[in-house]
Amino acid sequence: MPSNSAKTYLATSQADRIKHLPAEARAAFQRFQTLGDPAGLDMVICAILADFMPRRPTVPLAERPGSTRLIDDLGFDSLAITEVIFFAEDLFGITITNEEMVHVRTLDDLRGFIRRKVAVHAPR
Amino acid sequence: MPPLPVITGLGFITSIGNDRPTVLRSLRELRHGFESVEFFGNPDLPVKVAGTVKGFAFPTPNWRDWVWPDHFAVDRELLRGLAPHGVYALCALQQALADAGLDPAALAGGQTGLFCASAGSPFLLGHFLNQMYATRGERGNPMGIISSIAGTLNFNLAAHYKISGAVCGFVSACASSSHALGYAMDEIRLGRQQRMLVVGAEDMTAESIVSFSTLRALSNNPDPATASRPFDRRRDGFVGTGGAVALVVEDAALACRRGARVYAELVGWGQAGDGYSVATSHPEGAGLREAMRRTLADARVDAHEVSYVNAHATSTPAGDRSEALALQAVFTSNGAKPRVSSTKALTGHALSLAGAMEAAFCALAIAEGFIPGAAHLEEPDPVCAGLDFPRVSLCEAPHFVLNNSSGFGGSNVCHLLRRPA
Repeated sequence: MPSNSAKTYLATSQADRIKHLPAEARAAFQRFQTLGDPAGLDMVICAILADFMPRRPTVPLAERPGSTRLIDDLGFDSLAITEVIFFAEDLFGITITNEEMVHVRTLDDLRGFIRRKVAVHAPR
Repeated sequence: MPPLPVITGLGFITSIGNDRPTVLRSLRELRHGFESVEFFGNPDLPVKVAGTVKGFAFPTPNWRDWVWPDHFAVDRELLRGLAPHGVYALCALQQALADAGLDPAALAGGQTGLFCASAGSPFLLGHFLNQMYATRGERGNPMGIISSIAGTLNFNLAAHYKISGAVCGFVSACASSSHALGYAMDEIRLGRQQRMLVVGAEDMTAESIVSFSTLRALSNNPDPATASRPFDRRRDGFVGTGGAVALVVEDAALACRRGARVYAELVGWGQAGDGYSVATSHPEGAGLREAMRRTLADARVDAHEVSYVNAHATSTPAGDRSEALALQAVFTSNGAKPRVSSTKALTGHALSLAGAMEAAFCALAIAEGFIPGAAHLEEPDPVCAGLDFPRVSLCEAPHFVLNNSSGFGGSNVCHLLRRPA
């Protein structure tokens, strides 16, 4: 579990953390936080992925099939995936282990995984 | 014929220009690259001038906020692992490769190596560590180490350009990129590589520069027109700068086969330690004196044959004095009188980048047939008696040019460049 100092860091830097996401993604995050809107959550996840993709996406990720593979189709590498994990952990207040991430290979895998995680750990 | 390293490509991101024509004009016309700055948003700091790098901005540690000139291609994939000086370096290397007429695809295959030099990024490392302190080690940017430690240039550029030849970083403070260039010469002279890319770079941030004020090494002169005045009696410290310079160094035979333009031949280099102090130079410039002698011996060139010396002189009272005495010992006392100037009067002191940047200036001087003047020098320190400082740039084509560098711990490195036959 995060220590007290980590919690302080996570809470104080959250607004800064999403300032680079598109306005609709920031609004979706607010909807998810206040209303628990799962569609908003999906939009935020796609925005995070697009932000960390090593190459700029040619097709919006929300329009890609759920079976799209993070590494083989989108060009992610292990470092970029780690960046996404850390970002998601901080933003949603969840903890994701390496073992869990090994099973996340596609867009649907990631969206489903984070939905389950945030259902257990209510958003802050 | 033994291999002979020659310079075939140059790229510049400097306070006096971000391309070769602008740098050339600045050196010819003695246009400096200084501006008034306010580091850390603190008007009370006595350091008020820096050699700013125009067209770039790094307002936060987040690469999404960074700005660089549109005509440079900086991939997102690469950007996440770069420090500010990594962005400079990438832009400088793109220029140098284009200048040498090299397709980046030609760099793979093991015949090309890459030697780099920077001090890392105190700016990003500080941010990375603050994040770790705040979370007691539970969070950190996965690219934090790669982007911030010394070596970040070679990590990034070697992977990006698929360099499978010799790859290394050099850390000897303000002699770092001079070491990189010297050892790159050896790679070619020993037949280990046919081509070497040499890249020096430094951040231009408060973290990189103001740190030197604790050593009382920086000028407190607020006037950009006079703050950096190497060898002047009123000098009071160096003016910091950053940027990047890239050199393409090839075996002359390969350059000839490719029909590449040769700026200059690299005919010798040498190094020597002061064995004296961790931070200040030997009071009589003993190490630098020996490094110059070893360089001339390596090239089998007599002191009388040297047309121009690009001095290391940073505008600090002690360092310039040491170098003046070393120059007198090697040249004046033997009746030799090369032209001498320190181009740091125009650029500021670029730390790890300085040696490669000034070697590139020397190559430009040889190729373009001029000698950069000693800018801002009004009253030479009496200790410089006998040294020939041209106050303006001269239309004289130098044949042999000596490039001096010195770093912390008394690390002294020199190169000798020759006009191509």
